[in-house]
Amino acid sequence: MSQHDDRTRHTRRPGLTRRQLLQGMGAASTLPLLGGIAPFAIANGSAGRVVVIGGGFGGATAAKYLKRANPAIEVTLVEPAEVFYTCPFSNLFLGGLRDMRSIAHGYDELRDRYGVRVVHSLAEDVDPDGHRVHLANGETLAYDRLVLSPGIDFRWNGLEGYDEAAAELAPHAWKAGAQSELLRRQLEAMDDGGTFVMVAPENPYRCPPGPYERASLVAHYFSQHKPNSKVLILDAKDSFSKQGLFTAGWERLYGDRIEWVGLSDDGRVTRVDAENLEVETEFGTRHRADVLNVIPPQKAGFIAERAGVTDDSGWVPVKPATFESERVRDVYVVGDATVAAPMPKSGFCANNQAKVVAAAIAAELSGRSAPEPYWTNTCYSLIGPEYGISVAGVYRVQEGVIAEVEGAGGLSPADAPDHIRALEAEYAVGWYNAICQDTWGTSV
Amino acid sequence: MPHPLTRRPLSRRRLLAGAALMALSSLGFSSQALAEGPWQRLEAASERLGDATPATEGLVLELPHVSEDGAAVPLTVRFEGALADDDHLSEIHLFATGNPAPEIASFQLTPQGGLPEISTRVRLNESQEVIAIAKSHRGETFATAREVRITVSGCLMRGDDQGPEALANPRVSLPERFTAGEPGEVRTLINHPMETGLREGADGETLPRHILERFTVTLDGDTAFAADLHQAVSANPYLRFHLSPTEDAEVVFEWQDDSGESARHEASLSLG
Repeated sequence: MSQHDDRTRHTRRPGLTRRQLLQGMGAASTLPLLGGIAPFAIANGSAGRVVVIGGGFGGATAAKYLKRANPAIEVTLVEPAEVFYTCPFSNLFLGGLRDMRSIAHGYDELRDRYGVRVVHSLAEDVDPDGHRVHLANGETLAYDRLVLSPGIDFRWNGLEGYDEAAAELAPHAWKAGAQSELLRRQLEAMDDGGTFVMVAPENPYRCPPGPYERASLVAHYFSQHKPNSKVLILDAKDSFSKQGLFTAGWERLYGDRIEWVGLSDDGRVTRVDAENLEVETEFGTRHRADVLNVIPPQKAGFIAERAGVTDDSGWVPVKPATFESERVRDVYVVGDATVAAPMPKSGFCANNQAKVVAAAIAAELSGRSAPEPYWTNTCYSLIGPEYGISVAGVYRVQEGVIAEVEGAGGLSPADAPDHIRALEAEYAVGWYNAICQDTWGTSV
Repeated sequence: MPHPLTRRPLSRRRLLAGAALMALSSLGFSSQALAEGPWQRLEAASERLGDATPATEGLVLELPHVSEDGAAVPLTVRFEGALADDDHLSEIHLFATGNPAPEIASFQLTPQGGLPEISTRVRLNESQEVIAIAKSHRGETFATAREVRITVSGCLMRGDDQGPEALANPRVSLPERFTAGEPGEVRTLINHPMETGLREGADGETLPRHILERFTVTLDGDTAFAADLHQAVSANPYLRFHLSPTEDAEVVFEWQDDSGESARHEASLSLG
């Protein structure tokens, strides 16, 4: 771990403490485990019971890093699916650039290498006073600390006409898996000359640049197989992530194949007729689709509501330094479900937040105070197979709130030549492989 | 290019002021303490109130606790209080305590509006308190305030501003039919840059102020709803309000900007 320690040392005040060392490790390390390094290991018996709900980027990372911090902590991960499909790179599947197997991850490493107990069941309820979690399989788990990584749920009918039945006709594909496969089948079955209509939500929602990467890669698929087909994005916002870069990339690669209609041009859809693949906007314009993709309004995954950690926005307010719930003691929440802005709702952020939570819980369980955190985020988006763009940010707690560190991070240059875009597309693959390796330990 | 209104750092003083206010209200100093609320410290707001001590119940401001886009923060103001039968809410004023100019908008309401509930989208250049003040026709006053945290997410960095043509595409959404005495929801949207006069263009020169100043709705020539808009209203102003016509009427919507240009939209309202 010397390389990482050196970096930590250079960017901080002299007089590095053990706390800071752990923080560096917890917050940003993607290094493999080195045998025997466990700062707070207790030789005998349990160092506490932690239940982690959700096996995505946040939950799987939290389980692993709790065990890394202290193998004596009993860690149970609750996740119904035996195979987890990542939202990152699911747009590559939709564009025909990858198969589903390549975005599938499992829990063998957590179980076999780190000693995490993995229970494939649904967490149905949380009793915060009794410190218990009730599972669909009838089991009850007691915890000293609970980590929720519940992801998102949809506000069915939050957009008129869009409910679970409508999603079978007009898929959201905003949780990767069967919905991604359905949308891909529809794209493949569509006649050339058709229009793919995407309904993009207002903020906040999972993966801010995701809709625009998806539009790009569907346009790529059309350009290869259905050259007379169009992409129409109807957006409830007037601006979006990496907008200038996306717009320039669309023009460069796809000409006028992609049309974006923002809020101020009556882009906000207020009614969906999934049966007829038709949507209606706020000021009464109707758009007919050949394939309709509705990304509906969202909220924290339901177990967060059951645990009582959500506020009236439907999301989870957390204490910035530890991501412990503001509302319920001993419950920590990470990932898309949280109110962590300016950190975006991304898999990378969930992974980073989980490391901070693991470090905080491990410290607390051994009677120390939580280390001071920082977080990083990088979002790569592919506009074409050889055209990548990115945005990066570094975050710290300043004056009691999470704030972006000025001058850190940045955006791909606006005027980069093609070979830089091609390199970024390669970096995107490197990023995906590294973060999946870090989270699930699976190579692709 | 990011809008300059969204790129200011957080002001610690304002955060602390907000925290202090929240602490006060949670200790149960309700109306008396809140009567000395932020509207008394903001000249533009206290001028509107004069000597009156506003009621702190009844007027409701809805804003997100955290907004990731300070250039367009959705806002709804609504009156849920009680007034005498022959009284009605006649004015609502909105203020942004942390903006370079605090005025956001002023609304004139009439009984033809029916339901005092208005939505729009506003610019907030930093985390701050937003204030609403209302007056009734007979002189009752109301006030409320909401704290909003503004963040600009790295993943949400804005693209280049695309300047829409001013006053293009006036859009109006009306209920298919109105019922006499029942308020119907009306939504309007129009393209306008709402250039603040505070922003530099690509050449480094300050872009001249160019905003929509006034919006009026008349029913058979009588004003039913009107708004005075300031720089803090987001580009492409959106307004959602209500009309409660008592008989069939010709409705005229008119938007006027500070260059003397205007746009109109006319429709016939029929009661069903």
